[in-house]
Amino acid sequence: MVRSFQLRWKSVALVTLCLGLAASAIADERRASIPHGSVELLSEQESIQPGRAIHLGLHFRLEKGWHIYWINPGDSGEPPRLEWHLPAGLRAGALEWPGPSRLPIPPLMDYGYEGEVLLPVPIENTSGLTADGEVALAADLKAIVCREVCIPAKAQLSLSLPVRAARSRESAETQAMFRAAQKALPKPAPANWRPYAKDLGDSFELRVNTGRSVSEAWFAPLEPLEIENAAPQKSVTSAAGVRLILKKSDQLLKPVSRLRGVLVMSQGAYMIDAPVAPAAAKRKKEQ
Amino acid sequence: MKRGFAGIVVVMALSILALAVRVGEPAPNFTATDSNGKAHTLSSYRGKFVVLEWHNQGCPYTKKHYDSGNMERLQKEWTQKGVVWFTVISSAPGTQGYVTAEQENDYMHRMHAAPTAALLDPTGNLGHLYDAKTTPHMFIINPDGVLIYDGAIDDKPTSDPADIATSRNYVSLALNEAMSGKPVSTPTSRPYGCSVKYAH
Repeated sequence: MVRSFQLRWKSVALVTLCLGLAASAIADERRASIPHGSVELLSEQESIQPGRAIHLGLHFRLEKGWHIYWINPGDSGEPPRLEWHLPAGLRAGALEWPGPSRLPIPPLMDYGYEGEVLLPVPIENTSGLTADGEVALAADLKAIVCREVCIPAKAQLSLSLPVRAARSRESAETQAMFRAAQKALPKPAPANWRPYAKDLGDSFELRVNTGRSVSEAWFAPLEPLEIENAAPQKSVTSAAGVRLILKKSDQLLKPVSRLRGVLVMSQGAYMIDAPVAPAAAKRKKEQ
Repeated sequence: MKRGFAGIVVVMALSILALAVRVGEPAPNFTATDSNGKAHTLSSYRGKFVVLEWHNQGCPYTKKHYDSGNMERLQKEWTQKGVVWFTVISSAPGTQGYVTAEQENDYMHRMHAAPTAALLDPTGNLGHLYDAKTTPHMFIINPDGVLIYDGAIDDKPTSDPADIATSRNYVSLALNEAMSGKPVSTPTSRPYGCSVKYAH
């Protein structure tokens, strides 16, 4: 009698435990633990409207000292990648990358994000959704989380959104996060900045006519193997703008016709696409 | 007089700085000791292809290629074809991947690794000489002592072993091309992986 009571109690406890686990699995699909932090799939709206695009975001929170990487990770590491599982009619665009931080690991230099970052991702919505339904937006994440050492991170994230005819806003907190993330994205450089670069042989000179002196400007290249990431970037700023000397990568074997990347300044990050004037004729002869 | 001496020192310093490791140029010579206490000097391997593989057994990117057997397969294949293959460990004592000679020999035995030798570089001197950035970071030196490849092991910069099957192996590609007298089609690439754990 005592024994069967114990058994019954145990099975009740087991069932309760299983239910609890199942419930938490459903509730927490949008959020996952990763080594030394967490990641959450966020939506800027509480619901999705038929035919209207929506922004989701990948929100990383990392313990102090740990980082993830920018689209060009620099000398080591790799950027987070998503593989989407979306219902017909929805298509995910590429992740959008806020201006990165420099992460020095002497003698190397990486580009990425420490602490907290939201990477927005646009979801194209070509209709096919009917109001009052529900859609599941799921993505498999692969990333690497590093401090001195690196730990691979994998997560299966999913978000269920009701389909509504009317627009519905997310919480003020989530909206503020998306606004801040949009603000952190590099803006197109104004046309009158006319960024251009000169090949100086061992380095590039990048000029951007911002029309005012800037402080703390540095260039994050989109392509690897163009500049020596860890080399100090000598910057000269004047009323006309900023001039940066970027040491060429020893691995760069061919001339570069354009320098593409992000100019990170204290007043914001800007996308740069600068034509490169070839090295002076005298140098050419030497080569 | 003093001034002139300072000038000479500066010129010497500059010429050392200018000694960059660049594909198409002679690879810098070195002497390093392997996990069995044997010294290897690069210049004594003239006439052979030499592969340098930067290694850290705790790094997920290194594990990708060792736990899958990919690196060991490459080592066997190319050493059988006469290539000299040096695994180089530049992790400083107390950092990830640092090993004693005995630990490295145990590891190679356990993994069935088959390099010509594993060079122990706890000072990081050899790593700095080659500007080795990541584990793995691969270099290939041709029989004339010229650097012909500097970069990643393959074109899938991830830590996921599932990506190996669909990747293009830059080391095999370069060795195959160079051995058949062709120019190396991809002489440089971004060496992906963990940062080399140099002493600070």
